[in-house]
Amino acid sequence: MARMTTQPLLIAAMALTLLAGGFAVWAGWSWYGAAHDDSAAYAASRDKALAAGEQAVQNLSTLDHNDLAHGLDMWQDSTTGDLHQQLADGRSEFEKQVQQAQTVTTAKVLDGAVTELDDRAGKARVMVALRITVQAPKEKPAAKDSRMLGELTRTASGWKLSALGQAPVGNSAAN
Amino acid sequence: MSTTRHLVNRQRRLASAGAARVATEAVPQERASTLDPARRKPSPRAEEPPQEAVEPSRRRRLPGTGTAARARLRRVLSVRAPAVLCVLVVLLGGFAAFAAARADSLGSDPAVRNAALTDPARTSEVKGQTEKAVAALFSYNYADSGPADKAASTLLTGKAVQQHRDMLAAVRAQGKDQKLVLTTTVTESGVEMIDGSRARVLVYADQSSTRTAGKKPETTYAAAMFAVDVARGSGGTWQISGIDTFGQGS
Repeated sequence: MARMTTQPLLIAAMALTLLAGGFAVWAGWSWYGAAHDDSAAYAASRDKALAAGEQAVQNLSTLDHNDLAHGLDMWQDSTTGDLHQQLADGRSEFEKQVQQAQTVTTAKVLDGAVTELDDRAGKARVMVALRITVQAPKEKPAAKDSRMLGELTRTASGWKLSALGQAPVGNSAAN
Repeated sequence: MSTTRHLVNRQRRLASAGAARVATEAVPQERASTLDPARRKPSPRAEEPPQEAVEPSRRRRLPGTGTAARARLRRVLSVRAPAVLCVLVVLLGGFAAFAAARADSLGSDPAVRNAALTDPARTSEVKGQTEKAVAALFSYNYADSGPADKAASTLLTGKAVQQHRDMLAAVRAQGKDQKLVLTTTVTESGVEMIDGSRARVLVYADQSSTRTAGKKPETTYAAAMFAVDVARGSGGTWQISGIDTFGQGS
């Protein structure tokens, strides 16, 4: 009698266990897949590069003559390679110019996009739409929109700008 | 309450452990049976579970009693196995639910959903079509407004229709008088985001406008930057659904 009642219970329990096991395997597999998705890693790199690029471009367009040392340290901290070298070389002369002009420059990132990303080589290109406001003494602040193009290189301490310039205007369309 | 098996077990325990230990062990066993009457009373097998703890040693010592051991094994299976399996079901189910939730949250992460660059084919499709659309929409020739009209009617959708009309109103109004030719060339564009049938593209464009009404044609160049929202319409073409000039009339 006992077998008659307990056997179906056992079979039901085994079936449930199998079902739960199957579900667990499937869910675990999709979790693993989602966590080790190559394109997800690439997407994360893209967003990191963009965030770092926007921040670096903003840093390089921000300078207060009252706080030159800190501002220029920030410039050097946001860059690497040739650009870093150029900034370091021209630093003392640039300090003089800004101290004479007594300007306060601030920048706001309007928008940005990554145009190229080589995750393995650690290289990326970004476009950053920037609005730069320059405040000179006894003058109204002047705002100017800049179309920045930057090249990023990945370093041990994250993505840094290795080149930065403005998109050329005018006859460039013919090129 | 004591069965013969009970006594046998008890004697064996007395022999293996000291008398003092048995005294403490025996009490919880009795207590368990009185504290949990619901589980123990309904069937005649109720008294057996405590004895199963010593089952393996008993089997080892009495290898000859095959049928009894098998019957015992069957009982153990019928009582214990479902309980163990139930615990397994709960554990596996719990893990499965957790893993499914993690996988789902990873998959619905906006960064992962954004196919810009991660899907190169789709990215270049969006980029190419947007560049063409922008060039066509912001170019105008006073002598033949046909292409501009056609572009406006096929490449725009949603609120971009009105935005585009406002932006080109001045050009269209003065076009004939000034003999104006406006040419827009996209110099750089970057796909910021692609989510299914929607995308956003940052565009740098050069605009040259040539006025030929005067004695000498004069050409001016202007730099433009703006972002466009595009949507994939029926037929697979991307149409501009919004133009963001970052707060400046361009």
